[in-house]
Amino acid sequence: MTDLLRRLFRTRQGAFGVSILMIVTLICLLGPALAPYSPDRMDFLGRFAAPGVRHWLGADQFGRDELSRLLYGARDTVPAALLATLAGTLVGAVLGTLSAYAGGSWDEAIMRTIDAVMAIPGLLLALLIASTLGGGEQSALLAIAIAFAPGMARITRSVALAARQEEYVAAAIARGESGVRIVFAEMLPNVIAPVIVETTIRVSFAVMLLATLSFLGLGAQPPSSEWGLLVSDGRTYLHDAPWLVLVPGAAIAISAIGFNLLGDGLRDALNPRDER
Amino acid sequence: MTALLEVRNLTLDYATGRGSFRALEDVSLSVEAGEVLGLVGESGSGKTSLAMAVMGHLAGNARLTAGSIRLGGAELTALGPAAMRATLGRRIGMVFQNPSTSLNPTLTLGRQITEVLERHRGLSGREAWKEAVAWLERVELRHAEALMRRYPHEVSGGEKQRVVIATAFAPHPEIVLFDEPTTALDVITGARILELFHKLRAETGVAGLYISHDLGLVARVAENVAVMRGGRIVETGRATHLFAHPTHDYTRRLVDAVPRPHRRLVDDNPGSAELLRAEAIGVSYARRRLFRASPAGGGIDGVSFAIGEGEILGLVGESGSGKSTVARALTGLVRATGSLRLDGVPVTRMRHDYRRAVQIVFQHPDSSLNPRHRVRDILARPLRLYGGSLAQIPTLLRNVNLPADYASRWPHQLSGGEKQRVAIARAFAARPRLVICDEITASLDVSVQASTIELLLQLRRQHGTAYLFITHDLNLIRQIAHRLIVMREGRLVDRLDVKALGSGREHPYTRALMAASPLPVGEETGP
Repeated sequence: MTDLLRRLFRTRQGAFGVSILMIVTLICLLGPALAPYSPDRMDFLGRFAAPGVRHWLGADQFGRDELSRLLYGARDTVPAALLATLAGTLVGAVLGTLSAYAGGSWDEAIMRTIDAVMAIPGLLLALLIASTLGGGEQSALLAIAIAFAPGMARITRSVALAARQEEYVAAAIARGESGVRIVFAEMLPNVIAPVIVETTIRVSFAVMLLATLSFLGLGAQPPSSEWGLLVSDGRTYLHDAPWLVLVPGAAIAISAIGFNLLGDGLRDALNPRDER
Repeated sequence: MTALLEVRNLTLDYATGRGSFRALEDVSLSVEAGEVLGLVGESGSGKTSLAMAVMGHLAGNARLTAGSIRLGGAELTALGPAAMRATLGRRIGMVFQNPSTSLNPTLTLGRQITEVLERHRGLSGREAWKEAVAWLERVELRHAEALMRRYPHEVSGGEKQRVVIATAFAPHPEIVLFDEPTTALDVITGARILELFHKLRAETGVAGLYISHDLGLVARVAENVAVMRGGRIVETGRATHLFAHPTHDYTRRLVDAVPRPHRRLVDDNPGSAELLRAEAIGVSYARRRLFRASPAGGGIDGVSFAIGEGEILGLVGESGSGKSTVARALTGLVRATGSLRLDGVPVTRMRHDYRRAVQIVFQHPDSSLNPRHRVRDILARPLRLYGGSLAQIPTLLRNVNLPADYASRWPHQLSGGEKQRVAIARAFAARPRLVICDEITASLDVSVQASTIELLLQLRRQHGTAYLFITHDLNLIRQIAHRLIVMREGRLVDRLDVKALGSGREHPYTRALMAASPLPVGEETGP
């Protein structure tokens, strides 16, 4: 593990990515302690205050401090995106490996279903699911997980198909191992590296997707200060108080870039040719 | 007279992450006009690096630190890329191991030859076409005109290699480099390619540098032989003399390791008790799928045989004959028709006790061990499945002549031979009664092959295990098997006692296989 981190830091993208994400993590952990005000504290006189000494990143239409809202909102955004991606990955990876292991009609059935689901664009699918589930933070999370699973299954299956041809899998079958064991102990460890890389890159999509769902009113609900919601709220005042959109927008973009860079770095660091 | 190709004191280094690695050290050799020099060595001996150096085809991290390569007196290492390209193909022809990757899949076979002819001999399009057809006929391809319009994937491996040979010889080069040209082909096809090479040599008088790990092959094609080891040439000499009277220690070991059909390694006779009987085993790879049908092919049909307690049964045949499918059917890796009897009791489903009794070792050491599991975990699986204690792991390793501390290693930290030993240990962890060995030495060097075979025989003496030994190497199987079965195109064509080989009673196909196997080197009298 430390070895992996060391190798991650040797690549420029990895070092940048990890640094950004460490800051984002710190904000998630310590946000409330760092925030100068309560995110819900209204200040009538400070309405639409421009960024300055009193409100570093300005204030919104109720005079709430934008920085405090951003710091609190990180907790509603980043962990949710991470969780949604992980759930989607887990389901997708297991499904993809199973499909490759079972082969034949099972494989066809699973993959054709996935094709059908993937024919719907990801955002549209997430929207569809979220609105069917009635909106809210949890349904947004679930929607993203479901929208991600088919793509992950695809990627995992292609790697798992190669692993399926390896003789150690044949040896396990000949030995009479159970299918569950072959999938989880023999195949999954060998397909996990590309899956991890794909997962980190997808977290950045999830951050944006979550923000989009909130922006459209299907995700977190006010008074939460989830970043997408902040953008949505600020949109009305774009002309008078552009910082209300720019600040949370930048936060979304920076954390997305962080996960993207981490993914690029991991791809190099996990390259099996020079592993261990 | 100066040599046609002269390599002098060549030293080649590869820069790696951990400093530099010396691939060739002070290598000198020369090939006279019209002569064929064989270059023998095991994997990692530097023979391919040498060929690449001659072709100026070195990897980015390679550096020639000393020495010279001269072709007809002109220094090759000093040539710029453009001049080198003009020399390659025109003056040096090349034939590589894998015909599938040496032809461009997007060009017709005809185009691949005419391109060479236009470039190196300046022929016009129509002349080149005519000349190319003539060359395809010279390499004994039928329907040359039709083949000109085909793509590489539409012809067989042997045909592809003939086209590669035609492109190598067509510009009338002075020397042709062969890098394991028959290794990727099956025995009979390979033997025919060698015949073709002999014929073309006689016609064109071209010189050759023939690289191979197979001493028998080299003895057949080359007048002179150089033996390489660890980047150095350890011995050179006339092929006939060198293999019969090797002076260098390494050459002697190499020659000794080559299987000789008449030197039996097994002298006992197995008892008459029958262990496993396979009756009319059939496998069809045609499968009905949900949305499309996949075409049939490569299956087996009506294969029946029996293996006695402690017997070594050889299963031979060319690639694609269905040998491995038999192994897969016996171990339940493919769905098969027919019936199996273990100790006379019908095997209806592959139960635990059957799987335990019948173990398998696969061909590719790199693929048969899970790269994410340590040796300890690999050996622990059969022990857990079939009952056994993890405390046996050191013993299992010691039984295959590996140190006990290998238990904590990862597969990639082992050599090919060591990996194969772990795979053997894994099979023996189940205390099997029959071990199916599917080409287990095919990807190993000849000296490693010899020690692996020795290990199998030692294990058999300890445990009385029977083997179904699948191979394409008749010389090897004749040393160890009690009986042979021969397969061709999915069917059993011959079933005979190993002593009956050469008696004239064998099937014509078996005789053809025997004729195609290279004679063992260093043996004065053939069979």
